[in-house]
Amino acid sequence: MTTLDAIAEDFQMVDDETRLELLLDYARQLPPLPEVYHPLRDRGLYMVHECQSPVFLMIEVKEGAVRLHADVPEEAPTARSFTAILVKAFDGAAPQAVLDAPADILYRLGLTRLLGMQRTRGLSAIYQRIKNEVARQMEAA
Amino acid sequence: MADYAHPEVLVSTQWVADRLDDTGTLRIVESNEDLLLYSTGHLPNAVQIDWVNELQDELVRDFIGQEHFATLCEQKGISNDTTVVFYGDKHNWWACYAFWVFKLYGHQKCLVMNGGRKKWIEEGRPLTTEVPAFPEASYTARPQNRSIRAFRDEVLAHMKAAGPLVDVRSPAEYRGELTHMPDYPQEGALRGGHIPGARNIPWSRAAHDDGTFKRRDELETLYLDEQHLDPDAETVAYCRIGERSSHTWFVLTYLLGFRHVRNYDGSWTEWGNLVSVPIERGAGT
Repeated sequence: MTTLDAIAEDFQMVDDETRLELLLDYARQLPPLPEVYHPLRDRGLYMVHECQSPVFLMIEVKEGAVRLHADVPEEAPTARSFTAILVKAFDGAAPQAVLDAPADILYRLGLTRLLGMQRTRGLSAIYQRIKNEVARQMEAA
Repeated sequence: MADYAHPEVLVSTQWVADRLDDTGTLRIVESNEDLLLYSTGHLPNAVQIDWVNELQDELVRDFIGQEHFATLCEQKGISNDTTVVFYGDKHNWWACYAFWVFKLYGHQKCLVMNGGRKKWIEEGRPLTTEVPAFPEASYTARPQNRSIRAFRDEVLAHMKAAGPLVDVRSPAEYRGELTHMPDYPQEGALRGGHIPGARNIPWSRAAHDDGTFKRRDELETLYLDEQHLDPDAETVAYCRIGERSSHTWFVLTYLLGFRHVRNYDGSWTEWGNLVSVPIERGAGT
């Protein structure tokens, strides 16, 4: 079972109230962005423009592993928690695991219903950005 | 704030700070785009109303009905004569949206806290994660006040009559420049553009960076002098899903005293998908 599957299972087992608590826990767990990336973020590069809040995503494939660094403002806890879930699942993972990750992850986490369709667009964009970027770097390598 | 047409509906953070404990007559309501934000900390004694899970009907694509609205108010400890102060994230978009829904059901005493969540936090005012519980209230909802809400057929007739339409989205959305990147989620509309004849006046032009509304003279310069809107003409505002246009509806109605402004909450998500209605692309009017 992949890390992402395990996280999705945690989310599936609980009710909405606990699911919100889980999300808040993840929002608190997003690792701080390493300082080396601050200049890029401050220049507005590597942003996910579909998100209403400034979401910075640095996606790299190095030595056979995916490296994921992100910065999401605290005023956007939903995007922050979803990003933290993906950092936990994908940082250090094999690129193929990211490419194989299920397309319907928001549904599997129970977020489509909890947040409503109108609010998951930015989250889908974060997920798709990671998958697309890993695919692009694998092809270029 | 005294210069506004209806200054009584807009209150300052200090005004709210002085009344945090007036829970018998006043209810503070936080309405955010982000469902989790309230749980990370909110104004003391504030309750949350979520625009998706609490204001929208699950089965009908519409707002909750009259009875459901009454139940919602009762659960939040809001009775017919409670003063409700709305505030939230994103420059008070959802606060204005919730305010508009409360007005739709005829709630009398609705206020907006100028500057919203952002200003409150920047001023270093207190937040709490404690969720307050208030005794259940008794509420009688009125039928929807349709004079502040526009439906698609009415918008179509309004468009044909060359009535003033205000598109408050960003210029790129207005011009119809949708991003068509592969595998990316779309805007929720099949076509990009705007309602023919609509003026593009982005909502943000009515707000300062700190989330507060601009002064009345600044707003008059924008909407009257520059855009030639008429305070007596029936005016329709729209955006993508009706939240940013609630902000502009609030500005026109309460800060400038326009008499007949309607929010088209179906907005571009509906119009951009309608069969057999025209759209316009490009820089437009």
